[in-house]
Amino acid sequence: MKRAHAERGLIRDIGYLSLYSVASGVAGALALGALILLLSWPARAGEAPFNEPVAQSVRDEVRGPRLRLRSVDGGGGGEAPLLDTDVRMEISGMTARVVVKQRFRNPGERWVEGVYVFPLPEAAAVDRMRLRIGERLVEGEVREKAQALRQYQQARREGRKASLLSQQRPNIFTTAVANIGPGEEVGVEIEYQQALRYDQGRFSIRFPMVVAPRYIPGRVAGSGDLGGFGGGWARDTDQVPDASRITPPLREPGAERANRVAMEIRLAPGFPLALLESPHHAIERLGDEGGVHRIRLRESVLANRDFVLNWAPRAGDEPHGALFSEHWKGEEYALLMVMPPHVGAVRDPVPREMILVVDTSGSMHGGSIEQARGALRLALGRLTPADRFNVVEFNSHARVLFPSAVAASRDNLSRALAYVDGLEADGGTEMAPALAAALDGRRETPLLRQVVFMTDGSVGNEEALFELIRQRLGASRLFTVGIGSAPNSYFMTRAALFGRGSYTYIGDPGEVREKMNALFMKLESPVLTDIELSWNGDAQPDVWPRRIPDLYAGEPLLVALKGDLGAGGVRLSGRTAGRAWARELTPRGGAQSPGVHLLWARRKVADLLDQRARGRSGEEVRGEVLEVALGHGLVTPYTSLVAVERRPSRPADQGLVSHAVATELPEGWSASKVFGTLPRTATPAPLHLLLGGLLTLAGWILKRATGGGA
Amino acid sequence: MKRWLVWVLILLGLSQLGQGIYIEAKAWLAQQLLERAWERARVGEARPLPWPWADTWPVARLRVDRLGIRQVVLAGASGRTLAFGPGHLFASAPPGSAGNSAISGHRDTHFRFLRDLRVGDRIELERRDGARVRYAVYRRGVVHETDSAPLRRQGAQLTLITCYPFDALSPGGSDRFVVEARRIAL
Repeated sequence: MKRAHAERGLIRDIGYLSLYSVASGVAGALALGALILLLSWPARAGEAPFNEPVAQSVRDEVRGPRLRLRSVDGGGGGEAPLLDTDVRMEISGMTARVVVKQRFRNPGERWVEGVYVFPLPEAAAVDRMRLRIGERLVEGEVREKAQALRQYQQARREGRKASLLSQQRPNIFTTAVANIGPGEEVGVEIEYQQALRYDQGRFSIRFPMVVAPRYIPGRVAGSGDLGGFGGGWARDTDQVPDASRITPPLREPGAERANRVAMEIRLAPGFPLALLESPHHAIERLGDEGGVHRIRLRESVLANRDFVLNWAPRAGDEPHGALFSEHWKGEEYALLMVMPPHVGAVRDPVPREMILVVDTSGSMHGGSIEQARGALRLALGRLTPADRFNVVEFNSHARVLFPSAVAASRDNLSRALAYVDGLEADGGTEMAPALAAALDGRRETPLLRQVVFMTDGSVGNEEALFELIRQRLGASRLFTVGIGSAPNSYFMTRAALFGRGSYTYIGDPGEVREKMNALFMKLESPVLTDIELSWNGDAQPDVWPRRIPDLYAGEPLLVALKGDLGAGGVRLSGRTAGRAWARELTPRGGAQSPGVHLLWARRKVADLLDQRARGRSGEEVRGEVLEVALGHGLVTPYTSLVAVERRPSRPADQGLVSHAVATELPEGWSASKVFGTLPRTATPAPLHLLLGGLLTLAGWILKRATGGGA
Repeated sequence: MKRWLVWVLILLGLSQLGQGIYIEAKAWLAQQLLERAWERARVGEARPLPWPWADTWPVARLRVDRLGIRQVVLAGASGRTLAFGPGHLFASAPPGSAGNSAISGHRDTHFRFLRDLRVGDRIELERRDGARVRYAVYRRGVVHETDSAPLRRQGAQLTLITCYPFDALSPGGSDRFVVEARRIAL
């Protein structure tokens, strides 16, 4: 009897409890629901720390607005062509002639078109492309860009072999090769001329090997469906309307076949060498005959980091000036290099306000952020108590360490060092807010204001950033430090030009100290400004660039000229450390050097394109660029090289499949840091339900144990 | 004496139950509201917000007839969006386009059905323009959250992502279950 009563009580209790649980669960759910739905509203605000006129990018759920993904429809099967690259450099005096041979091999059973997006030096004057089919060579011709594309597409349709070389950025080019038969190999041979970099007594040449994945800011524009060439993973956005053409697909980590580069160099420096080094690749010296050094890569390398070659004369043998000339199509061209007198670091440098800006986006993950941290520590250690400073960090957003620049006191410096030690790389690369925070636009500053900008420059919106630098520079000076294995050299050099500063590269941790010391030398020495060349006598050569950039310690003046240099000589003048400075030169004769006209044309094109940023109309600039480019045979934003075979080779009944050639991820990069991770998709609902169940059960058992008998 | 403890335990338990039920209820209820917003999307409204303060909107409808699944897919895959329905990753190609469209959903609500999908299953995606695109499952598997290879796969495909394992109690694991389906002709 008692037992039955207890059982009935138990059942009743369970019934009540369940009913109560469900009822309160539903009521709670509804109440909470209303509450949380309401609360979820204001959560959208408060995510933009800077109110600069910078478009907020789409907040991407792959953890931050990073690289956008897209893929190209292969159109149904077939295999992508395999690629090998052979590079040959002829370096002599101040210039280099480089031949890049790309061999596309079709391993599949179907006819294919290969599209390859690759980098070249940002100042390369590309003037030749040949299509190699077996032993036959078809010479490419320079055409207006749209016309070249039409010619290529017609040949592609008609089954004829053809190749098209076009420029996407000064340092990003695309080769397209149509109608490669099954098992066939087709070569594209590209040639360019470039001037060497001479800085602080050392010559160097850089050969980029891979277009690093770029961060694409902005909102996706248009349909996002497939566009033209490139087959990029990114979709075009309002800020980077050609994103799909500068983001070549990445090779799958497991893919068995990689993209490799072999290289051979003939170096005729014109002086005995005290230094010859390749800091990032193993090289082999094949012999030195009559002042010509033959060098090659010890073995073919994965195309995943920039090749750099440095060489230098013995101390005291440094050139103070050089003139190279060429007679081309009835005109005289010259390249003039002048080393201004070396003032050297001043013993008591003027107090400065130094703004250190560091990129902590996902692409800087790994070795790059370590190099950046090392460089920042050195820069902070260099400050004196009279200086002021601040640190700006940016990835998806920009953050400043101090609200405004502070004195370089011991306390502030130790705070900054701790901050630097804690920097981690992750997220997007929203560079504009950081630039806006670092460049305040003031025209008058009490102290010399220097902004040191450390980044790999992996962004797709370079032009907009240059415009921002130009508008907000004021009295500040911007110095770029390119970090990592494949920095965007176009961004580094052009940002420094618009920022009236200088640029340097740090390729691995071992270089940090040496490169930063070279930069401090420039930051602490008086700069040579207002540089002008005035010709004595009747001679009025056409000089490019028109406005000569400021020169920092160890940098030479380098200009290209067209026309007679006359006999009266030239007066080089400028200002340094508050004093006027001038020097008379008599440039005459000079070593004959083929390709100087190309350097002149390339400099003129770069200068004309920059004039767009200074307010000249795009149409006007385009007309002038076209005239120079077609006259000298240069590839530019408005002209391409196209080569077409005469006879068709693909049978009319066979289709053609287009494939983008996959590229490597730059050395030291982590795909998950750049492309983000897959979204999180679990709710705590099961946990809540289980916990809730257990707790109520425990409560009920306790109740039985204590209150049941009562 | 222990009476207060009993009630604390029971109240705590109920609030936990309430939260669990709330998450499931919200997931279910939101889909009902979303159906209406989807109808507005179909008649051409660019961003039909399902409720006035929403920060997402329907972009497609997902159907798996074999499993009786019909879900409205939302724009974006932030945690807030996923509470209401599966979300389309902005970073991927638009749903039903020629590229790789990726959709993710909660493993314990909307995308629980992923574990029942088999290779060869048909998935239908209804675009906002009314067109219906069909896909056939060709691969299913578990990857680490840092492995973005499925997102970079070329070709017209649908990539469905959810957390793994399905029955894990707590959220926050680092494995993902990915179903890949290739576009097929109607």
